[in-house]
Parts: sequence; C-alpha cells; structure tokens
Amino acid sequence: MPDEPDTQPLPGDGEEPRPTEPQPQPDEPAQPPRPRLTRSSTDSLIGGVAGGIGKHLGVDPLAIRITFVILTFAGGLGLLAYLACLVLLPSDDPEAEPLQWGLWRTLGAGLLAVAAIAILVPNWLWGPELGILLIAGVILYVLIRVVRDDGASHVSGIAARIAIGIVLLALSVGGFAAAAAGSALGGGIAVAGLVIACGVGLVGGAFRGGARWLIGPALVLSLPLAAVAATDLDLRGTWGDRTFTPTTLQEVERGYDMGAGSMRVDLRDVEFPPGRTTLPLELGAGEIQVLVPDDLCVLTDATVRMGAVDGGNDEQGGVDLDIVDRRAVVPGTPTVRLDVDLGLGAVRVGDYFTDRHGPGEWHLDDTTGYDPAVACAGTP
Amino acid sequence: MSARPGFDPASLVSGVIVILLGLVLLLDQADVIDMRWDYMLPAVLGAAGGILLACGLTGPRRRG
Repeated sequence: MPDEPDTQPLPGDGEEPRPTEPQPQPDEPAQPPRPRLTRSSTDSLIGGVAGGIGKHLGVDPLAIRITFVILTFAGGLGLLAYLACLVLLPSDDPEAEPLQWGLWRTLGAGLLAVAAIAILVPNWLWGPELGILLIAGVILYVLIRVVRDDGASHVSGIAARIAIGIVLLALSVGGFAAAAAGSALGGGIAVAGLVIACGVGLVGGAFRGGARWLIGPALVLSLPLAAVAATDLDLRGTWGDRTFTPTTLQEVERGYDMGAGSMRVDLRDVEFPPGRTTLPLELGAGEIQVLVPDDLCVLTDATVRMGAVDGGNDEQGGVDLDIVDRRAVVPGTPTVRLDVDLGLGAVRVGDYFTDRHGPGEWHLDDTTGYDPAVACAGTP
Repeated sequence: MSARPGFDPASLVSGVIVILLGLVLLLDQADVIDMRWDYMLPAVLGAAGGILLACGLTGPRRRG
C-alpha cells in the first residue's frame, strides 16, 4: 500500500490517533465536525478507501465499493480512482465513531455520481449498458445488505422486501419468457404437461396440508402457453429481415415461410399470366410487406390471430381475423391471391416504397395507397 | 367452509382447475382442438378467477 504523500508522521496501520484534526474557524457555527476524508482502518476490504469515503460522506461504504466496481467497467475509471485515493488519502483513527448513513443519502450520492460522470465525460455509457450496470449495482447492493443484515435495521427490512420482490419478479419474468419461447418453438406439449403436473401436485398436496405455492408456477407456465396457443404462434423457421424477389411463377407459387421477423416480397419482376396465381405466405410473428406493380390485381386472404391486415385501400385489425377478399375481378386480369397465415403482426400490400437502409432494404410507404379495386377492374 | 386438519380444499380446487386448463392447452398443442382468443381468454380468466375464489373462500392454508 503506498505511503501517504503529506508530511505527517506515518501511522502504524492506523493504530495511532492522528493529532492533526483541523480546528474550526471562530466564525463558523457550532456543529459536529464532518469526519476527515481518510482511509478507514476499521472498515476495510483492500485499503479502506471506500470505508473512509463512506464515513466522510455519510453514505454506505458498500455503495462506494459498488460504484468503484461499476466505474472500473467504464474504461478502468474506477480502478484509477481507487488507486488515486489509495495513494492520496491518509489513514484514520481506529476509534472513529460508527457509520451514519441512510438509504436516501446513499441513493442521492449514487445519482450525483452518475450525473457528475455524465457531465465530466460526455457520451459516456449513455447506452443500455449504463442502465444495466445501474440495475446490477442496485441489486448487488440490496442483496449484500440483506445477507449482512447488520442490526435488522429499517433499511435492512426494506432491502429484504425489495430483494425478495426482485427475485420473484425475475423468476416470474424468466418463467414467462421461457414458457412462451418454449411453446412458440414447438415445446407447447411439454409445457402443457408441466401445467398438468402442477395441477396433479396441487391435488396431491391438498391432502398433505396444501401446496398452494404450485399455483404460481402453474400460472407462469399456463398463461404464456395460452397466449401462444391463442395466437397460434409458431416461431420455428427463419428469423430476421428477409427480402424475397421472385422472378418466376414457380417461385411465387412455392411461397415463403418464416418464423419471425420482417418478410418483404417484391413481385415487380414477375410476369403474371391472365388468371389467378396463389402466393402462400406464412409468418409466426412480425410483418409481411408485399410490393406489387400498381396494375396488378391482388386479393388478400389472411388468417391473422392478432394484428392487422392492409390489403391496399383498407385496414382491418384485431384478433382472430379470417379475411377473404371477395372482390370482383374482371376476367382475364392477371391476379395474385395472397394466402397469408400470420400469428402475430401485420400484413401490408403496396406499390410504393422508400429505401430505409440502402438498396434492397425497402419499406412500404404509408403516403401512397395501392388500390386493388382499380387494378382488379382491369387495365385502364 | 370446514376442513379437516391437513386438508386444503383450495389446493384441491385449484389443482382441478389447473389440470383442466392444462388439458385444454395440451389438446390445442396436439391439434385436437383449435383454441382461439374467443375461447382462450374466457378459459384463462375463468381459471384464474376460480383459483382466486377458492383461495379466498377457504382462507389461509391449514397446516396439518
């Protein structure tokens, strides 16, 4: 550990009281002196820096330590700051008074520290990682405080409830997500089996004093499975953003199938014959966009469990949509019938697009509407 | 509602409800039936309501 930089005598590991307390000025109001900013010899994990700062500021040293750790992930700032304090701060008196800190002062100091960092270092960690680090810090603080539970204080009681709430919430969210993902990826039968097992456990436990705790897991499993089942969500298959540009009639008739994401189908390069051609489109969750030439007659037949369908000049939304386009078509007009099976999301048909991210990454424009009524009435 | 020591009627009722809900979900996943929102929502809400009602009527859990 580095020596102190000042000219005072070197204490022997903080055993000697330091006789150089600053004397209050005569014109200062009488109030308890704030402890000097020193390294603590009684609250020390490495060099007593966090303990000393916490004592000086009146905040929990644990919060200081976690702040140092968090800042260490920001380009090593925390490590540098700790080393600087280790070098610059003198050691203290082991007979120092007990720590006085409070939750709000700790929270305020943490927010001020974040604000100061944001001001001093522009654009520092203004991404999702900052929020993640802060949440991780708060959770770590609460958990350690609960584990220590020094004195069963009011703060410890609050911290215990918060910690239990966070753990239960995390378990519920994780269970929901896992059950939903498992169901949508083809594991619905297994999840349903687990729900039944919970029910059997409840019935069996009823004769042994009760097993109501199984209600929670049963709901956590059954609610997302019910949503997936009602939505008919099937996420098996390709994920992501895909643009399909068929050039032949065979490609069109084979259709396209994706699990989740954005499915864009560009029909402008296909020479459609007179009569009806069917294009099957299947997507678990996401958006289907079909780009068509403005003189192509498009009939949109769609089964959508939850979402919206915009076939060109109108939009329908809601749950359990079964849409059959019964539009009258002039005989001999080249016609494409979209046979859409969508679990959750939207279907859009249009003839005008804008480039979002470059060539091939087009997006149907809302401002101009493709009108199938005109196209299906025959070439003007 | 009276109950024997060590017997928790709320667990029994809840268990039966959960089993029925699980069976419905199992049949849907096995493509035997096709549950849409029109049916699924009442089923889930009914199950949740039944469980809450059972727990509320029987009071705190008895330990045998």
